[in-house]
Amino acid sequence: MALLARTGVSFLKNAVLSTSVRTLSLTNKLNLKELQERKEGSTLVVEGVNVPSPRTELLIRAENIKDLVQPEGTPKETCYMCALGLDVKHTDVLILSQFVRSDGCMLPRRITGLCRRQQKKIGKMVSMAQKAGLMINLTPSFCKKDPKKRYGFKKFNSYFDETTIFQKKIPTPFEHLKNR
Amino acid sequence: MGMHKPIYHPMNDCGDVVVCINSRDIALRGDEWKKRAYFHHTGYPGGATWTLAWEVHNKDPTMIIKKAVYRSMKGNLQRRHTMERLLIYPDEEVPEDVLQNVTNQIRQLRLVPTRLDHIPEDEVRKFPKVMDYPKDYVYK
Repeated sequence: MALLARTGVSFLKNAVLSTSVRTLSLTNKLNLKELQERKEGSTLVVEGVNVPSPRTELLIRAENIKDLVQPEGTPKETCYMCALGLDVKHTDVLILSQFVRSDGCMLPRRITGLCRRQQKKIGKMVSMAQKAGLMINLTPSFCKKDPKKRYGFKKFNSYFDETTIFQKKIPTPFEHLKNR
Repeated sequence: MGMHKPIYHPMNDCGDVVVCINSRDIALRGDEWKKRAYFHHTGYPGGATWTLAWEVHNKDPTMIIKKAVYRSMKGNLQRRHTMERLLIYPDEEVPEDVLQNVTNQIRQLRLVPTRLDHIPEDEVRKFPKVMDYPKDYVYK
């Protein structure tokens, strides 16, 4: 009797839940999408519309550049940023803004497709540019949009040194004297 | 300073001064604004104070430049008299009599970086792209 009841319950549960559970698919069924909201009478319709990427025509890749000389010692399989070998500074906002969301947040590595080192480097440089107030239009909506209206020490100008990104240890002032 | 003049002598005032403008807009490296401290001692016991750079700059926007120049000079008796020949102004407002005698300009070493919102939107869109979105990315 108990077995019968349990099978009845599980059958009912399957019937109710199977409609709401989304089926998994391993194929690349989803394309680049834009969420569009519109109102039809009293109902709000949120729709994901497939759109072509605006960046594909402007895209620069190392394999498409013929006379690109890579420095010696670069491994063959690198990410696209390593292959390009650009010297990006934190003031190059036109490059750094490609890696951020509209609220100024760095995109994760599964979306940027960078190697670990480059992801770390660019993420740090994005935060440097944000602290220096260079990408003020790519900030959350509650941001004041003017670096001079910030609180305390943050309202003054600052610049950054990119060599400090991978500096594991910051030498103490007297360390160079000890090694003599 | 007038060091290019043949009559130059440190104790001879030949009328040349250095004018520094926009000292309010100076940039310090990294987190120097909150890490750099300026020491002062009144001379009395317990009279030592450490003021952070941003607090100093809040109070007097010319002080950091002034102290930086003062420290870079040799600590001799001439230092305070040479400092009198440095005029620092927090913004572009310079007295007329000083401005009339300006003959040369020392260019800044570090260029002011361009903000993204000051670049025209069309130029940002047409700039060559490095990163492309993956196929299953949802715009935000």
